[in-house]
Amino acid sequence: MSEKAVRKIRTFLLMLFVFAVVGYLIYTRIMAYSLAPTLEPKDFSKFSWYEIPFQYLWDYFYHAWICLLFAFTAAGLVYEFIPKEAVTKYMGSGKVTGYAIGAGLAPFFTVCSCTMVPLFAGILYSGAGIGPAITFLLMAPAANILTILITGEFLSWEIAVVRIIVSLVTAVLAGVIISKTSWGKAIEKEHQISQNTKVSQQSIEIVKPPLDERLLSALRFGGYLAKQILPYFVVGLIVVGYATAYIPPEIVEGYLTGITGVFLASIIGGPLYTPTLVEIMLGRSLLQLGMSKAALLSWLMGQPYDIPNMTAVSKIVRWKVVLTYAFIAWICSVSFGLLYGLIIGSL
Amino acid sequence: MKEVKVEVIGPEPACVRCQTAKKVVETAAEKLKQTGLTIKIEKVNIISKDIVSRYGVLVSPAIAINGVVKVMGRVPSEDEIVRLMKEAVK
Repeated sequence: MSEKAVRKIRTFLLMLFVFAVVGYLIYTRIMAYSLAPTLEPKDFSKFSWYEIPFQYLWDYFYHAWICLLFAFTAAGLVYEFIPKEAVTKYMGSGKVTGYAIGAGLAPFFTVCSCTMVPLFAGILYSGAGIGPAITFLLMAPAANILTILITGEFLSWEIAVVRIIVSLVTAVLAGVIISKTSWGKAIEKEHQISQNTKVSQQSIEIVKPPLDERLLSALRFGGYLAKQILPYFVVGLIVVGYATAYIPPEIVEGYLTGITGVFLASIIGGPLYTPTLVEIMLGRSLLQLGMSKAALLSWLMGQPYDIPNMTAVSKIVRWKVVLTYAFIAWICSVSFGLLYGLIIGSL
Repeated sequence: MKEVKVEVIGPEPACVRCQTAKKVVETAAEKLKQTGLTIKIEKVNIISKDIVSRYGVLVSPAIAINGVVKVMGRVPSEDEIVRLMKEAVK
Protein backbone atom coordinates (compact mmCIF):
# COMPACT_ATOMS: atom_id res chain seq x y z
CA MET A 1 0.00 0.00 0.00
CA SER A 2 1.29 3.46 -0.77
CA GLU A 3 2.24 5.80 2.04
CA LYS A 4 -0.53 8.17 1.04
CA ALA A 5 -3.19 5.50 1.43
CA VAL A 6 -1.84 4.48 4.84
CA ARG A 7 -1.97 8.09 5.98
CA LYS A 8 -5.53 8.45 4.73
CA ILE A 9 -6.64 5.36 6.60
CA ARG A 10 -4.90 6.46 9.76
CA THR A 11 -6.45 9.92 9.54
CA PHE A 12 -9.85 8.35 9.04
CA LEU A 13 -9.51 6.02 12.04
CA LEU A 14 -8.29 8.80 14.32
CA MET A 15 -11.11 11.10 13.23
CA LEU A 16 -13.53 8.26 13.84
CA PHE A 17 -12.28 7.93 17.39
CA VAL A 18 -12.63 11.66 18.03
CA PHE A 19 -16.15 11.74 16.58
CA ALA A 20 -17.11 8.65 18.57
CA VAL A 21 -16.05 10.31 21.82
CA VAL A 22 -17.82 13.57 21.00
CA GLY A 23 -20.86 11.73 19.66
CA TYR A 24 -21.22 9.58 22.77
CA LEU A 25 -20.90 12.60 25.02
CA ILE A 26 -23.64 14.40 23.08
CA TYR A 27 -25.77 11.24 23.23
CA THR A 28 -25.47 11.07 27.02
CA ARG A 29 -26.50 14.72 27.14
CA ILE A 30 -29.56 14.11 25.00
CA MET A 31 -30.56 11.07 27.04
CA ALA A 32 -29.81 13.09 30.18
CA TYR A 33 -27.71 10.41 31.85
CA SER A 34 -25.93 11.57 34.94
CA LEU A 35 -22.24 12.05 34.27
CA ALA A 36 -21.47 12.92 37.85
CA PRO A 37 -21.36 10.45 40.72
CA THR A 38 -24.84 9.69 42.05
CA LEU A 39 -24.04 8.75 45.65
CA GLU A 40 -25.41 11.20 48.18
CA PRO A 41 -23.59 11.80 51.47
CA LYS A 42 -26.28 9.85 53.34
CA ASP A 43 -25.68 6.75 51.15
CA PHE A 44 -22.22 6.40 52.60
CA SER A 45 -23.49 5.35 56.01
CA LYS A 46 -24.30 1.86 54.74
CA PHE A 47 -20.68 1.17 53.73
CA SER A 48 -17.95 0.08 56.10
CA TRP A 49 -14.76 2.12 56.07
CA TYR A 50 -12.83 -0.10 53.62
CA GLU A 51 -15.68 -0.15 51.14
CA ILE A 52 -15.87 3.61 50.79
CA PRO A 53 -12.98 4.14 48.33
CA PHE A 54 -14.16 1.34 46.05
CA GLN A 55 -17.78 2.37 46.13
CA TYR A 56 -16.94 5.99 45.49
CA LEU A 57 -14.39 5.33 42.73
CA TRP A 58 -16.75 2.87 41.02
CA ASP A 59 -19.62 5.31 41.25
CA TYR A 60 -17.35 8.05 39.93
CA PHE A 61 -15.75 6.31 36.98
CA TYR A 62 -18.91 4.46 35.99
CA HIS A 63 -20.60 7.78 35.37
CA ALA A 64 -17.73 10.06 34.55
CA TRP A 65 -15.45 8.08 32.24
CA ILE A 66 -16.89 9.56 29.06
CA CYS A 67 -16.60 13.05 30.43
CA LEU A 68 -12.97 12.51 31.45
CA LEU A 69 -12.16 10.86 28.13
CA PHE A 70 -13.72 13.78 26.32
CA ALA A 71 -11.92 16.32 28.48
CA PHE A 72 -8.49 14.77 27.89
CA THR A 73 -9.14 14.30 24.15
CA ALA A 74 -10.31 17.89 23.83
CA ALA A 75 -7.32 19.17 25.79
CA GLY A 76 -4.96 17.28 23.48
CA LEU A 77 -6.68 18.53 20.34
CA VAL A 78 -6.84 22.15 21.43
CA TYR A 79 -3.20 22.06 22.44
CA GLU A 80 -2.14 20.58 19.11
CA PHE A 81 -4.23 22.71 16.79
CA ILE A 82 -4.10 26.12 18.43
CA PRO A 83 -1.67 28.18 16.33
CA LYS A 84 0.98 28.41 19.03
CA GLU A 85 3.48 30.43 17.04
CA ALA A 86 0.93 33.14 16.28
CA VAL A 87 -0.07 33.36 19.92
CA THR A 88 3.45 33.44 21.29
CA LYS A 89 4.51 36.01 18.72
CA TYR A 90 1.89 38.50 19.88
CA MET A 91 2.29 37.61 23.52
CA GLY A 92 5.55 39.45 23.81
CA SER A 93 4.62 42.38 21.62
CA GLY A 94 3.18 44.99 23.97
CA LYS A 95 1.23 45.78 27.09
CA VAL A 96 -2.37 45.66 25.93
CA THR A 97 -2.03 42.71 23.56
CA GLY A 98 0.05 41.05 26.24
CA TYR A 99 -2.78 41.31 28.77
CA ALA A 100 -5.39 40.19 26.27
CA ILE A 101 -3.46 37.12 25.15
CA GLY A 102 -2.14 36.29 28.60
CA ALA A 103 -5.66 36.23 29.96
CA GLY A 104 -7.66 35.05 26.99
CA LEU A 105 -5.67 32.60 24.93
CA ALA A 106 -2.64 31.34 26.76
CA PRO A 107 -4.60 29.42 29.41
CA PHE A 108 -6.02 27.19 26.70
CA PHE A 109 -2.75 25.50 26.09
CA THR A 110 -1.46 25.31 29.60
CA VAL A 111 -3.13 22.22 30.87
CA CYS A 112 0.21 21.02 32.13
CA SER A 113 2.40 22.75 34.66
CA CYS A 114 5.53 22.08 32.61
CA THR A 115 4.40 24.65 30.03
CA MET A 116 3.13 27.12 32.57
CA VAL A 117 6.36 28.31 34.19
CA PRO A 118 8.30 28.62 30.87
CA LEU A 119 5.46 30.62 29.34
CA PHE A 120 5.31 32.80 32.41
CA ALA A 121 9.03 33.49 32.17
CA GLY A 122 8.80 34.00 28.41
CA ILE A 123 6.11 36.66 28.75
CA LEU A 124 8.10 38.35 31.51
CA TYR A 125 11.38 38.46 29.60
CA SER A 126 9.99 39.54 26.27
CA GLY A 127 8.33 42.88 25.64
CA ALA A 128 5.12 42.44 27.61
CA GLY A 129 6.61 42.53 31.10
CA ILE A 130 5.43 41.49 34.52
CA GLY A 131 1.78 42.55 34.39
CA PRO A 132 0.67 40.23 31.58
CA ALA A 133 2.87 37.48 33.00
CA ILE A 134 1.06 37.60 36.34
CA THR A 135 -2.30 37.79 34.57
CA PHE A 136 -1.46 34.67 32.63
CA LEU A 137 -0.28 32.87 35.74
CA LEU A 138 -3.46 33.58 37.69
CA MET A 139 -5.72 32.84 34.74
CA ALA A 140 -4.19 29.52 33.75
CA PRO A 141 -5.53 27.27 36.51
CA ALA A 142 -9.04 28.68 36.21
CA ALA A 143 -9.40 28.81 32.46
CA ASN A 144 -7.67 25.86 30.91
CA ILE A 145 -9.82 23.58 28.85
CA LEU A 146 -9.74 20.66 31.32
CA THR A 147 -10.84 22.73 34.29
CA ILE A 148 -13.63 24.42 32.35
CA LEU A 149 -15.06 21.13 31.10
CA ILE A 150 -14.85 19.36 34.45
CA THR A 151 -16.25 22.29 36.43
CA GLY A 152 -19.10 22.65 33.96
CA GLU A 153 -20.01 18.98 33.95
CA PHE A 154 -19.62 18.15 37.63
CA LEU A 155 -20.59 21.35 39.36
CA SER A 156 -22.61 23.51 37.04
CA TRP A 157 -22.05 25.57 33.93
CA GLU A 158 -23.18 28.61 35.86
CA ILE A 159 -20.33 28.30 38.34
CA ALA A 160 -17.89 27.49 35.52
CA VAL A 161 -18.75 30.73 33.71
CA VAL A 162 -18.72 32.76 36.92
CA ARG A 163 -15.35 31.27 37.81
CA ILE A 164 -13.87 32.35 34.48
CA ILE A 165 -15.25 35.89 34.72
CA VAL A 166 -14.11 36.53 38.30
CA SER A 167 -10.73 34.93 37.64
CA LEU A 168 -10.29 37.20 34.66
CA VAL A 169 -11.02 40.30 36.71
CA THR A 170 -8.73 39.11 39.50
CA ALA A 171 -5.92 38.18 37.13
CA VAL A 172 -5.94 41.49 35.25
CA LEU A 173 -6.25 43.46 38.48
CA ALA A 174 -3.31 41.64 40.07
CA GLY A 175 -1.22 42.06 36.92
CA VAL A 176 -1.89 45.80 36.70
CA ILE A 177 -1.29 46.41 40.40
CA ILE A 178 1.98 44.47 40.48
CA SER A 179 3.31 46.20 37.39
CA LYS A 180 2.88 49.50 39.29
CA THR A 181 4.69 48.47 42.48
CA SER A 182 8.36 49.30 42.94
CA TRP A 183 9.37 45.67 43.52
CA GLY A 184 7.39 44.54 40.47
CA LYS A 185 9.16 47.14 38.34
CA ALA A 186 12.52 46.05 39.73
CA ILE A 187 11.96 42.45 38.62
CA GLU A 188 10.79 43.63 35.23
CA LYS A 189 13.87 45.76 34.74
CA GLU A 190 16.15 42.94 35.78
CA HIS A 191 14.66 40.56 33.24
CA GLN A 192 13.87 42.88 30.38
CA ILE A 193 15.80 42.13 27.26
CA SER A 194 17.09 45.23 25.55
CA GLN A 195 14.91 46.45 22.72
CA ASN A 196 17.50 46.27 19.96
CA THR A 197 17.67 42.49 20.04
CA LYS A 198 14.31 42.02 18.33
CA VAL A 199 13.55 38.46 17.40
CA SER A 200 14.13 38.10 13.70
CA GLN A 201 11.36 36.57 11.66
CA GLN A 202 13.72 34.05 10.13
CA SER A 203 14.47 32.38 13.43
CA ILE A 204 11.08 30.72 13.63
CA GLU A 205 9.81 28.50 10.88
CA ILE A 206 7.41 25.95 12.25
CA VAL A 207 6.91 22.89 10.11
CA LYS A 208 3.44 21.39 9.90
CA PRO A 209 3.38 17.61 9.88
CA PRO A 210 0.61 15.75 8.01
CA LEU A 211 -2.86 15.58 9.59
CA ASP A 212 -2.65 11.97 10.75
CA GLU A 213 0.52 12.68 12.68
CA ARG A 214 -0.98 15.77 14.24
CA LEU A 215 -4.07 13.87 15.35
CA LEU A 216 -1.97 11.09 16.76
CA SER A 217 0.25 13.53 18.57
CA ALA A 218 -2.84 15.31 19.95
CA LEU A 219 -4.26 12.07 21.33
CA ARG A 220 -0.87 11.10 22.70
CA PHE A 221 -0.67 14.39 24.51
CA GLY A 222 -4.15 13.81 25.93
CA GLY A 223 -2.97 10.39 27.12
CA TYR A 224 0.13 11.91 28.60
CA LEU A 225 -1.96 14.41 30.53
CA ALA A 226 -4.22 11.65 31.79
CA LYS A 227 -1.19 9.70 32.98
CA GLN A 228 0.11 12.78 34.79
CA ILE A 229 -3.14 13.83 36.38
CA LEU A 230 -5.17 10.66 36.99
CA PRO A 231 -3.05 9.02 39.72
CA TYR A 232 -3.32 12.13 41.90
CA PHE A 233 -6.91 12.43 40.88
CA VAL A 234 -7.71 8.91 42.12
CA VAL A 235 -5.96 9.53 45.44
CA GLY A 236 -7.83 12.81 45.69
CA LEU A 237 -11.13 11.06 44.98
CA ILE A 238 -10.49 8.54 47.76
CA VAL A 239 -9.97 11.43 50.16
CA VAL A 240 -13.13 13.05 48.83
CA GLY A 241 -14.97 9.76 49.41
CA TYR A 242 -13.92 9.66 53.06
CA ALA A 243 -14.58 13.35 53.52
CA THR A 244 -18.09 12.91 52.17
CA ALA A 245 -18.68 9.93 54.40
CA TYR A 246 -17.31 11.21 57.68
CA ILE A 247 -17.64 14.98 57.77
CA PRO A 248 -20.92 15.67 59.55
CA PRO A 249 -23.18 17.96 57.51
CA GLU A 250 -23.79 20.06 60.62
CA ILE A 251 -20.15 21.13 60.64
CA VAL A 252 -20.17 22.08 56.95
CA GLU A 253 -23.48 23.86 57.33
CA GLY A 254 -22.22 25.59 60.44
CA TYR A 255 -18.86 26.77 59.18
CA LEU A 256 -19.00 26.88 55.40
CA THR A 257 -22.01 29.11 55.00
CA GLY A 258 -22.53 32.82 55.43
CA ILE A 259 -19.73 35.34 55.64
CA THR A 260 -17.54 33.10 57.79
CA GLY A 261 -18.03 30.36 55.19
CA VAL A 262 -16.61 32.51 52.44
CA PHE A 263 -13.61 33.46 54.58
CA LEU A 264 -12.90 29.91 55.65
CA ALA A 265 -13.33 28.49 52.14
CA SER A 266 -10.96 31.08 50.68
CA ILE A 267 -8.34 30.22 53.28
CA ILE A 268 -8.49 26.44 53.08
CA GLY A 269 -8.93 26.50 49.30
CA GLY A 270 -5.53 28.09 48.82
CA PRO A 271 -2.64 26.76 50.87
CA LEU A 272 -4.22 23.34 51.13
CA TYR A 273 -2.70 21.66 48.16
CA THR A 274 -5.28 20.00 45.99
CA PRO A 275 -4.01 18.37 42.81
CA THR A 276 -5.59 19.68 39.59
CA LEU A 277 -9.26 18.86 39.25
CA VAL A 278 -9.61 17.39 42.74
CA GLU A 279 -10.62 20.78 44.08
CA ILE A 280 -13.68 20.49 41.86
CA MET A 281 -14.72 17.11 43.27
CA LEU A 282 -14.02 18.13 46.85
CA GLY A 283 -16.01 21.31 46.23
CA ARG A 284 -18.87 19.18 44.93
CA SER A 285 -18.87 17.03 48.03
CA LEU A 286 -18.80 20.02 50.34
CA LEU A 287 -21.65 21.55 48.35
CA GLN A 288 -23.70 18.39 48.85
CA LEU A 289 -22.89 18.50 52.54
CA GLY A 290 -24.29 22.00 52.77
CA MET A 291 -21.59 24.51 51.81
CA SER A 292 -23.04 27.66 50.27
CA LYS A 293 -22.48 28.41 46.58
CA ALA A 294 -20.76 31.64 47.56
CA ALA A 295 -18.22 29.71 49.63
CA LEU A 296 -17.80 27.25 46.73
CA LEU A 297 -16.73 30.08 44.45
CA SER A 298 -14.18 31.33 46.97
CA TRP A 299 -12.99 27.76 47.39
CA LEU A 300 -12.41 27.33 43.66
CA MET A 301 -10.66 30.67 43.36
CA GLY A 302 -8.08 29.59 45.94
CA GLN A 303 -6.24 27.53 43.36
CA PRO A 304 -3.72 30.09 42.02
CA TYR A 305 -2.15 30.70 45.38
CA ASP A 306 -1.48 27.16 46.43
CA ILE A 307 1.97 26.50 47.78
CA PRO A 308 3.73 24.42 45.05
CA ASN A 309 2.65 26.91 42.41
CA MET A 310 3.99 29.82 44.43
CA THR A 311 7.31 28.10 45.08
CA ALA A 312 7.97 27.48 41.39
CA VAL A 313 7.19 31.07 40.51
CA SER A 314 9.14 32.53 43.41
CA LYS A 315 12.34 31.22 41.82
CA ILE A 316 11.83 33.65 38.97
CA VAL A 317 10.21 36.67 40.59
CA ARG A 318 11.09 36.43 44.31
CA TRP A 319 8.73 36.14 47.22
CA LYS A 320 7.66 39.76 47.46
CA VAL A 321 5.87 39.60 44.12
CA VAL A 322 4.42 36.17 44.91
CA LEU A 323 3.01 37.34 48.23
CA THR A 324 1.57 40.45 46.60
CA TYR A 325 -0.33 38.50 44.00
CA ALA A 326 -1.41 35.87 46.53
CA PHE A 327 -2.78 38.65 48.73
CA ILE A 328 -4.64 40.30 45.84
CA ALA A 329 -6.02 36.93 44.73
CA TRP A 330 -7.18 36.20 48.26
CA ILE A 331 -8.91 39.58 48.65
CA CYS A 332 -10.65 39.02 45.32
CA SER A 333 -11.63 35.49 46.29
CA VAL A 334 -13.37 36.79 49.41
CA SER A 335 -15.00 39.80 47.77
CA PHE A 336 -16.28 37.91 44.74
CA GLY A 337 -17.51 35.07 46.93
CA LEU A 338 -19.51 37.52 49.02
CA LEU A 339 -20.76 39.41 45.95
CA TYR A 340 -21.83 36.21 44.22
CA GLY A 341 -23.61 35.09 47.39
CA LEU A 342 -25.49 38.39 47.59
CA ILE A 343 -26.51 38.28 43.94
CA ILE A 344 -27.82 34.71 43.92
CA GLY A 345 -29.07 34.87 47.49
CA SER A 346 -27.09 31.87 48.72
CA LEU A 347 -24.63 33.11 51.26
CA MET B 1 32.10 17.82 6.41
CA LYS B 2 28.69 19.28 6.98
CA GLU B 3 27.50 20.24 10.43
CA VAL B 4 24.05 20.48 11.94
CA LYS B 5 23.37 22.12 15.27
CA VAL B 6 20.25 20.98 17.05
CA GLU B 7 18.94 22.72 20.13
CA VAL B 8 16.33 21.02 22.25
CA ILE B 9 14.62 23.80 24.17
CA GLY B 10 12.80 23.09 27.41
CA PRO B 11 12.64 24.10 31.04
CA GLU B 12 15.26 23.19 33.67
CA PRO B 13 14.84 20.62 35.14
CA ALA B 14 13.63 19.05 31.92
CA CYS B 15 9.97 18.08 31.75
CA VAL B 16 9.04 14.56 30.68
CA ARG B 17 8.05 15.57 27.18
CA CYS B 18 11.29 17.47 26.69
CA GLN B 19 13.27 14.42 27.71
CA THR B 20 11.36 12.38 25.16
CA ALA B 21 12.04 15.00 22.51
CA LYS B 22 15.74 14.88 23.30
CA LYS B 23 15.81 11.10 23.03
CA VAL B 24 14.09 11.23 19.65
CA VAL B 25 16.66 13.75 18.43
CA GLU B 26 19.52 11.59 19.72
CA THR B 27 18.32 8.44 17.97
CA ALA B 28 17.73 10.38 14.77
CA ALA B 29 21.25 11.81 15.00
CA GLU B 30 22.69 8.33 15.55
CA LYS B 31 21.08 7.26 12.28
CA LEU B 32 22.41 10.21 10.33
CA LYS B 33 25.96 9.92 11.63
CA GLN B 34 26.57 7.04 9.27
CA THR B 35 25.92 9.33 6.32
CA GLY B 36 28.82 11.53 7.37
CA LEU B 37 26.98 14.39 9.01
CA THR B 38 28.32 15.99 12.18
CA ILE B 39 25.47 16.63 14.54
CA LYS B 40 25.74 18.71 17.66
CA ILE B 41 22.91 18.32 20.13
CA GLU B 42 22.41 20.81 22.89
CA LYS B 43 19.80 20.97 25.62
CA VAL B 44 19.06 24.61 26.36
CA ASN B 45 16.97 26.29 29.00
CA ILE B 46 13.76 27.81 27.64
CA ILE B 47 13.73 30.57 30.24
CA SER B 48 17.30 31.74 29.72
CA LYS B 49 17.70 35.28 28.46
CA ASP B 50 19.71 34.11 25.51
CA ILE B 51 16.93 31.89 24.21
CA VAL B 52 14.17 34.44 24.76
CA SER B 53 16.15 37.15 23.00
CA ARG B 54 16.89 34.90 20.04
CA TYR B 55 13.55 33.13 19.65
CA GLY B 56 10.99 35.02 21.75
CA VAL B 57 8.33 33.25 23.77
CA LEU B 58 8.27 29.53 23.10
CA VAL B 59 6.13 26.60 24.14
CA SER B 60 8.14 23.64 25.38
CA PRO B 61 9.42 21.28 24.05
CA ALA B 62 10.81 23.18 21.08
CA ILE B 63 13.50 22.12 18.65
CA ALA B 64 15.70 24.51 16.69
CA ILE B 65 17.90 23.34 13.86
CA ASN B 66 20.80 25.58 12.85
CA GLY B 67 19.26 28.46 14.74
CA VAL B 68 15.73 28.14 13.35
CA VAL B 69 12.85 26.89 15.50
CA LYS B 70 11.17 24.13 13.55
CA VAL B 71 9.11 22.36 16.17
CA MET B 72 7.22 23.87 19.07
CA GLY B 73 5.08 22.35 21.79
CA ARG B 74 5.13 18.76 20.60
CA VAL B 75 7.30 15.70 20.39
CA PRO B 76 8.13 15.01 16.75
CA SER B 77 8.67 11.59 15.22
CA GLU B 78 12.14 10.29 14.49
CA ASP B 79 11.57 10.33 10.72
CA GLU B 80 10.52 13.94 10.86
CA ILE B 81 13.72 14.93 12.68
CA VAL B 82 15.84 13.01 10.19
CA ARG B 83 14.05 14.80 7.37
CA LEU B 84 14.52 18.21 8.99
CA MET B 85 18.21 17.64 9.59
CA LYS B 86 18.73 16.53 6.01
CA GLU B 87 16.93 19.63 4.76
CA ALA B 88 19.14 21.81 6.92
CA VAL B 89 22.33 20.74 5.15
CA LYS B 90 20.96 20.86 1.64
